[in-house]
Amino acid sequence: MMAARAFRELRILIPFAAAIALWWGIKDGIGVSNTLLASPAQVWTAFVYLATHGVLAEYAATSLQMIGVAAAISFALGVPLGFAVGTNRYAARALEGTLRFLQGISGIAWLPLAILWCGFTHTTTLIVVIYTLIVPIVFNTMTGVRAIPENYVLALRSLGASRLRIVVDVYFPGALPSIVVGLRLGMGYGWRALIAAEMLVRQGGLGDLIFGARTFNQIDRIMVGMIAIGILYIVVDRLLVQPIESMTLARWGVLRR
Amino acid sequence: MASDKISVSGFRHFFPTEDGPVQATGTIDLAIREGEFVTLVGPSGCGKTTLLKAIAGFIAPSEGTILCDGKPVKGPGRERGVVFQELAILPWRTVRRNIAHGLEIAGASKAVRESTVARLVDLMGLAGFEDRYPHELSGGMRQRVAVARTWAADPEIILMDEPFAAVDAMTRLTLQEELGRLCATTGKTVFFITHSVDEAVFLADRVLVMTKRPGTIKAVLEVPRHGSGGRDWDSFTADPEMRNISEQVMHLVHAERGAR
Ligand SMILES: Nc1ncnc2c1ncn2[C@@H]1O[C@H](COP(=O)(O)OP(=O)(O)O)[C@@H](O)[C@H]1O
Ligand SMILES: [Mg+2]
Repeated sequence: MMAARAFRELRILIPFAAAIALWWGIKDGIGVSNTLLASPAQVWTAFVYLATHGVLAEYAATSLQMIGVAAAISFALGVPLGFAVGTNRYAARALEGTLRFLQGISGIAWLPLAILWCGFTHTTTLIVVIYTLIVPIVFNTMTGVRAIPENYVLALRSLGASRLRIVVDVYFPGALPSIVVGLRLGMGYGWRALIAAEMLVRQGGLGDLIFGARTFNQIDRIMVGMIAIGILYIVVDRLLVQPIESMTLARWGVLRR
Repeated sequence: MASDKISVSGFRHFFPTEDGPVQATGTIDLAIREGEFVTLVGPSGCGKTTLLKAIAGFIAPSEGTILCDGKPVKGPGRERGVVFQELAILPWRTVRRNIAHGLEIAGASKAVRESTVARLVDLMGLAGFEDRYPHELSGGMRQRVAVARTWAADPEIILMDEPFAAVDAMTRLTLQEELGRLCATTGKTVFFITHSVDEAVFLADRVLVMTKRPGTIKAVLEVPRHGSGGRDWDSFTADPEMRNISEQVMHLVHAERGAR
């Protein structure tokens, strides 16, 4: 039993191990030059160097902080906006097209404008990431609110509930599972936008780390950075966002019916 | 007509849609006295819900006026409680917190909330389920909670829109008797919509029959009460007078089905 369980846990690592073996095989077997590809051993050495000198931690901390701040602001702005749009049939219809249009303009496409407005600063990066994150949050909050049966609201109004009261007692709990799905999607898009923005803005963060390493052809560092980006995303998603999602879906999803 | 609790005059409603306005009701006049239990039967789509929603203040009438205690209805209010057919109580609140919701909104103290919940849970046969969520209850119990929630807020008028239509037939009989008893003891003014003739007559002091869409009120029948307290199904079905009234209502309703 224990062994079977441990195997199941480890199973997700098998493709990674296979990829590393393949990578190693290509690098040493074909003899790819160090200017094109670093070997797993070289990457490990670079990792140990960057980790022990605190470089990796510093750049990673910047990225995590940025995504955290962006997520908090997007949530704080996006949820009320989603409520406002979702509770107003006319606004919902009017804004649906606009939201789709904005979904088509990726956050990165805003970088040139944002750089002209705010220069090469964290503000610029935040604009891009918040923009990316907020659209799915607004969209899913709106969808969640619109799926709430009208009778919930009507019944509360005849119990004398104020608008705020209805938001707190009906719209928020009713739309929560959907809001969390939006947040999770947004975090995925936002993380990618963040790394891309960091490469251009160059004010720290893992995107800055890998783009800076390119200047000196430090392929090993680029690869360390890329792996860190992937791992951190898994960590943020698996340890933070996914548990919130399954908690709300397990609890509120059942409670919805 | 100072004693009219609710008075509807010249009411007519149209819903705006993309293909222009849709007429939901014909012209309706009605008055409900304080403490009276009035039921409304009519074919589906004739405008019963529309009328109830207008009295509740959820929709503004296209034409006519609605007075509650002589004052025009301008929106929903705590003096007019509503019970819907389904999807009314909140799935993320326990039975206790659903029932106490109106009191919570009104800012009642915890002691008041708890004693009210205890009383209604007892009255509605929900004892032992106070901390359950709606999805853990049967449809009949959920409707009991909806009724209890409305009663707990203590409105003077209660508007009910086919509250037992989605409940199984056996449970429905019990709920109807319980509702009759509850109303007789609390003296509320009730406006109750149904498409079941038996239910309409069983509960009512007065039955209104509507025509098919766009509905108007085509007949009004008084249902006399003998003694105080609610009716029970056994004596109701054995009473020839009641059977007679039911048959009259049945004919009126069937005529609407036949007419086109
Ligand atoms: N929001 C709405 N928009 C357009 N038409 C509606 C709306 N609500 C109800 N109607 C129409 O008005 C008529 C009366 O509806 P309703 O009052 O719900 O009837 P009932 O409750 O008697 O079944 C129906 O034909 C229905 O299709
Ligand atoms: Mg109806």
